[in-house]
Amino acid sequence: MPNISLTVNGALVTKSVDGRTLLVEFIRETLGLTGTHQGCDTSQCGACVVHVDGKPVKSCTMLAAQADGADVHTIESLAPEGELNPMQQAFHDHHGLQCGFCTPGMIMSAMALVRDIPDPTESQVRHGLEGNICRCTGYHNIVAAVLDGAKALRS
Amino acid sequence: MGNVKIGDSLRRIEDQRFLTGRGRYIDDIKLDKQARAVVVRSPYAHARINCIDISTAEAMPGVLLIVTRDDWKREGFAPMPTKSGVQKNADGTPLKQSDRHCLAMDKAMYVGEPVALVVAETVDQAQAAAEAVDVDYEELEPVVDPVKALQPGALQLWDGIPGNLCVNFELGDRDGTDKAFAVADHVFTLDLENNRVTAAPIETRGCIAAYDSATDRYTLWNASQNAHANRDTFADVLKLDKKQVDFIAPDVGGGFGGKNSAYPEPPLCLYAAKRLGRPVKWINSRAESFLSDTHGRGQTTRVQIAVDKDGTFRALRTNTIGAIGAYAWTVGPFTPTGGAARTQGGPYHFPAMHYRGRAVFTNTMAMDPYRGAGRPEATFQTERIIEYAARKLGMDPVDLRRKNLMPPTMLPHKTPMGLDVDCGNFPLLFDETMKMVNNTGLDKLKKTAEARGRKFGFSIAPYLECTGGGAKEHAGVTFNKDGSVGLAIGTSSTGMGHETSLAQILSAQLGIDVERISFTQSDTRATPLGGGHGGSRGMEVGGNAVQQAAEEIVELAKPVAAHLLQSNANEVEFEDGRFTAGSGSVSMSDVIEASLDADKLPDGMEPGCLDHSSVFERGVISIPNGVHAAAVAVDPETGDVDITGYWVMDDFGTIINPMLADGQVMGGVAQGIGQALVENIVYDPDTGQLMTGSLMDYGLPRADDVPNMEIGYYEGAPTKKNPLGVKGAGEAGCVGACPAVVNAVLDALKDFGVIHMDMPLTPQKIWRAIKDGGKHDPEALMRDAPQ
Repeated sequence: MPNISLTVNGALVTKSVDGRTLLVEFIRETLGLTGTHQGCDTSQCGACVVHVDGKPVKSCTMLAAQADGADVHTIESLAPEGELNPMQQAFHDHHGLQCGFCTPGMIMSAMALVRDIPDPTESQVRHGLEGNICRCTGYHNIVAAVLDGAKALRS
Repeated sequence: MGNVKIGDSLRRIEDQRFLTGRGRYIDDIKLDKQARAVVVRSPYAHARINCIDISTAEAMPGVLLIVTRDDWKREGFAPMPTKSGVQKNADGTPLKQSDRHCLAMDKAMYVGEPVALVVAETVDQAQAAAEAVDVDYEELEPVVDPVKALQPGALQLWDGIPGNLCVNFELGDRDGTDKAFAVADHVFTLDLENNRVTAAPIETRGCIAAYDSATDRYTLWNASQNAHANRDTFADVLKLDKKQVDFIAPDVGGGFGGKNSAYPEPPLCLYAAKRLGRPVKWINSRAESFLSDTHGRGQTTRVQIAVDKDGTFRALRTNTIGAIGAYAWTVGPFTPTGGAARTQGGPYHFPAMHYRGRAVFTNTMAMDPYRGAGRPEATFQTERIIEYAARKLGMDPVDLRRKNLMPPTMLPHKTPMGLDVDCGNFPLLFDETMKMVNNTGLDKLKKTAEARGRKFGFSIAPYLECTGGGAKEHAGVTFNKDGSVGLAIGTSSTGMGHETSLAQILSAQLGIDVERISFTQSDTRATPLGGGHGGSRGMEVGGNAVQQAAEEIVELAKPVAAHLLQSNANEVEFEDGRFTAGSGSVSMSDVIEASLDADKLPDGMEPGCLDHSSVFERGVISIPNGVHAAAVAVDPETGDVDITGYWVMDDFGTIINPMLADGQVMGGVAQGIGQALVENIVYDPDTGQLMTGSLMDYGLPRADDVPNMEIGYYEGAPTKKNPLGVKGAGEAGCVGACPAVVNAVLDALKDFGVIHMDMPLTPQKIWRAIKDGGKHDPEALMRDAPQ
């Protein structure tokens, strides 16, 4: 089994992994960071989105071994325990989540979106979140949250 | 937050853990020594199982146990009976069903039916061994189409169930309806298909089962919406006393009805856990979810309207066939029968109605509740035939609807379907919706659509709803020395926010800070009974249970308050969180504190005297109602549909938390839009293979498929059927959305002569309908259905 070293949420991690282990499995099972979820097996739902070297990645599409040397951030890294970052706060304020299962992936995608487009239009938000499926909210409040979260992050 | 009121848009308490990745869903739970289970599923829709050879699989690395039908037969485990609300045929004879066991016995009856359970040290080992289980199948011809399944000469799926008919249900006045049709100026007939869909919560189903040999007790953690009922069923299956089984639903990632049912995997895992003496965890894959989660809708219907030349409705006749799959699942036969019958005719005055529904067995996954379970079908049937009649009559469909709504003076009214419509104001809601629409401006939307080379369409869809699900709910309140207040209830939120809304009711009624409330749900250890989720019952039954408990606690607290105020209990009044007697007053918080201190209590009262449980029981189901309206812009070149406006007016009675109610409506509308435009479960008609077995084949609405929505509430008619005056909000969104969207698209296509299309209205289907110039046979689907 290959040994990999990577940074996860700022901490250096060195582990031996099975070659076929997916990054999402490594994050959840090996590291116990269960905020990253798995909702499908065809890379459609986006519940598993994390940031790898600053880019949003569906962690079910990537082997853990491919993340060797990478800088990985998960939902757990956005704010110290008990606090919310501006995007999380905006989701809370706008009721942009219900069951919460898609939420970590949705927020990680939203964070990447507003980093690329700090002042997005509604249409850019809707298009930018195409890779994340929410079955509960109907997206209306998610879109409002991302627009508001973007504003808060700008200021 | 502090002390909150009913009607506040209180932000959600549960958000903190969900937003930070600290929710605890089933797959986040890891027990010491847990083994992993994988289900071996039938690859055939219909096949005799000659033998199952597990010798190779058993010898594979890490394999601990393989459970087959031999174990089930040897143990004499029971099948899972249907608990359908309709149990009888129209002639009074009982419905027909076959034994539904947790594993296929002699025959596999649908693709995905469990044939064995493989348990190993790791999920990879279990998966590898599952593939090595050698099942000798003898493939048989499947029956997939429900209309063909009923025809004479059709292959018979079960001995003793002639015609593959589970139940033939009728409701209403057959003769009166026939007479009204005979004398009406116009009769219109339309066959339509309500497409088969699936709930597809983003968290798949899963469970962990554990067994403690010292106490002979089981614990099941299950991503379920119905802890108590399923605990009872699983105990019955495994021949256990239900007291031996603790059932806990942790955070559940969406349900929409798809996690209500009694599924086979949890009992298999409970059995395996006992055999192994180790916890057994099973998590469904998404691909398996499409095969093994129950489906919804799936009705083929002939709907007929009798209408006078001035547009007055005279009668409605509906004849539907519901494909309930291979087995009568937990409540499967109910949806196409009693479920879809009740709200036929919507909020319109139909003097006569008759409904017939047949639930039919096919070699497909079973039907069970999906958000609305019958009411979306009823509304779709009613609204489609009205739109169709308006087009045929050359009348404005908005005017035709408005003209036939039941006026408030007609209420209370028992509809010909037996529905007790107690209060509401249907014309007012209709007019308010049109005001919202006109504020946006249809002309403006039309011009914008046309400037983009698109065809503009609009439709309005009033709906009538009703609640359902368990009639009883238990709310338990405990007051703790650390200042926290425990609230335990048997309802089941899978995202609806009960941790907030039910705490809000308790906080409002007792006048205590909402932060003090510690919430527990869906845990058989915490409440002796619970109705779980379903039928928009969360506030209607659960909310009223909390309300009732709070009222009773106030009465229990009065002697304590009187003691503190040196007064008599019968002189104490309670208002806004304070007890008052004469000029003295004391807060509920102070009374709670005193109730935990023997020195501050009157003689005969013990610390903890305010701890109280209450069971609320619904008398008559409530009637939510409202109006949806949709504007669309359709690209005639590609068939692409843009929803450019969406408006909703709802009468849910009292609104506990408008923000949460909005969330329910928006999510429901998105699911309705999904069914109308993209979602479709498709089985190959010849082989019974599922063609839509992944999220690459089954369309779920994405962020750019769903519009922003404008939502308003009418709170002028709280129901008197329950103390809070709530009517239920959970399902209404998807009840109104399908007809609003479909009729709007058909309105957009009227210049092309397109008068009907079955859902989902995909670009390809729309493009083809345009090319076909609206060619349509209104009696194509049910022509060959036997009487």
